[in-house]
Amino acid sequence: MGGLTRLGEPATPDGTTARLGAPPARMPLRWHTARVRELRQETAHAKTIVLDDPQWPGHAAGQHADVRLTAEDGYQAERSYSIASAPEEPLALTIERIDDGEVSPYLTEELREGDELELRGPIGGHFTWRTSDGGPLLLLAGGSGLVPLIAMLRHRVAQGDETEARLLVSSRGIEDLLYAQELIALGKRPEVTVQITLTRTQPPGWDGPARRVDAEMLTQLGPAPGARPLVFVCGPTTFVEHTADALVALGHAPERIHAERFGPSGS
Amino acid sequence: MGIASEIGGTLWDERYALDGNAIAGLLEEVFEADMTTARRVCRSCGTTSAIGAHRAYRGAGVVLRCPACRDLAVLIAPLPDRSRVWLVGEWTIETPPR
Amino acid sequence: MAPISRGFHGRRRSDVDPARVPPGQYVVHDFPVLSAGPTPHTPLEQWGLQIGGEVTAPASWTWEEFQALPAETFTVDIHCVTKWSKFDTSWTGVSLDTLLAGVETEADYLTVWCDGGYTTNLALEDVTDGKAWIVYAFDGQPLEPEHGGPARLLVPHLYFWKSAKWVRGLTLTREDRPGFWEAAGYHNHGDPWKEQRYWGD
Repeated sequence: MGGLTRLGEPATPDGTTARLGAPPARMPLRWHTARVRELRQETAHAKTIVLDDPQWPGHAAGQHADVRLTAEDGYQAERSYSIASAPEEPLALTIERIDDGEVSPYLTEELREGDELELRGPIGGHFTWRTSDGGPLLLLAGGSGLVPLIAMLRHRVAQGDETEARLLVSSRGIEDLLYAQELIALGKRPEVTVQITLTRTQPPGWDGPARRVDAEMLTQLGPAPGARPLVFVCGPTTFVEHTADALVALGHAPERIHAERFGPSGS
Repeated sequence: MGIASEIGGTLWDERYALDGNAIAGLLEEVFEADMTTARRVCRSCGTTSAIGAHRAYRGAGVVLRCPACRDLAVLIAPLPDRSRVWLVGEWTIETPPR
Repeated sequence: MAPISRGFHGRRRSDVDPARVPPGQYVVHDFPVLSAGPTPHTPLEQWGLQIGGEVTAPASWTWEEFQALPAETFTVDIHCVTKWSKFDTSWTGVSLDTLLAGVETEADYLTVWCDGGYTTNLALEDVTDGKAWIVYAFDGQPLEPEHGGPARLLVPHLYFWKSAKWVRGLTLTREDRPGFWEAAGYHNHGDPWKEQRYWGD
């Protein structure tokens, strides 16, 4: 489990209490109510939901939370969403709207600040990264697969950690790219490389890659397989399958590759 | 390559596969612990893989399969008042390396 | 008490005749894809259908022979145990009455087996007298692999896991042998109108 216990709860700049690492004793998963503190429009189709959740036991970067909605007649639907916030920050989920989806249209369009949601988590320990896990880090995102990976980069920044990190984001167009300003800022750090590929539409003057992730792109980004990077791949199933195959073909160690699949459309 | 692999003259499309991470909550309901980091040794092909890296499929219930050979590992029936998990075959699991 | 999400209705349709909706089900527009494993794309020249088990003489058909059998096009409602129902689905295929016409047996049950290893069990009386088909077209188009193509079983009066995708054979048996989901806790019969989802329902 690698459960990391820290004493004391340092305050974050905005004065809220942050909890670091895993809780001392594992709490049973249970549904509870959290309140929407803030909604942030990330792109035309994606919103970040910042939650006030006094019962949240803390999380590791890369974990997810289950959200459950209840209609007036008692009908319930639940979905799992990646946590976007670092463990050091207030809990936040980024939700991309799936057009024919059931839960994401509600969360991105109907939900208001002050509303209550049912939540349980954090969930999953396989797709997580803590600064103590080391690197170098190779992070590969397809679309909103960036969400758990940004949590890892935010964790790294919050800890003042200088692990070498390379991030490749495959996005349909620049307007679908999550956290664009933050990615630009991250890319200016000497030990962080950020590469974007725009697979469908490119803005005028775009000189970056404009194709699906392939071996050449991965080789250019590095690090070489010999550096044994810790790899995290997250996105739609097609993206993950394709990218993981390319990594293994290049000689990356399968046991260093962690993958998380969203399904055919990321619903 | 990519989304489909050819085994025995048939192409197998993995477009609808998820992974063990996707059902971590369901597994934790049953085991009261995070199971995604536990590593299972496949009785069919001998590969050791984290439960989080197993392939997950949603049918009537949920199915986990070995990521190397797709042999059955777990069937989960989410019942209204509880979940029933069937661990298929003889199970060997280990902790992640320390 | 779970908080109510104002304005949340899910993907359910409200414009439906409640008498057509089995208990605990809701009606969808789309056609969800569910399966217990990866989707096989079996080449038609490798496809065959077999009837065996407790029969005096096994029967089998190639794809061409199967296509030459008399087919029916019909419209039915389907009900999945994961609680979605879909109305007015149109299928084309061969009735099991046609396939079993020349088969002599004392069996009362059958196990349906499929590419990918999936199985499900049924009573013979649930698949005869116009209650079941092996279908190869949906809405007039060849059945997509994700929905069970080239051919799937269709038993619309039972939960949809009984309508096995990628069907390749029927094994007739004297005893009832639980299939893939039935062995794992799903109801042996699976009548949606009696809400027979799980053991003990």
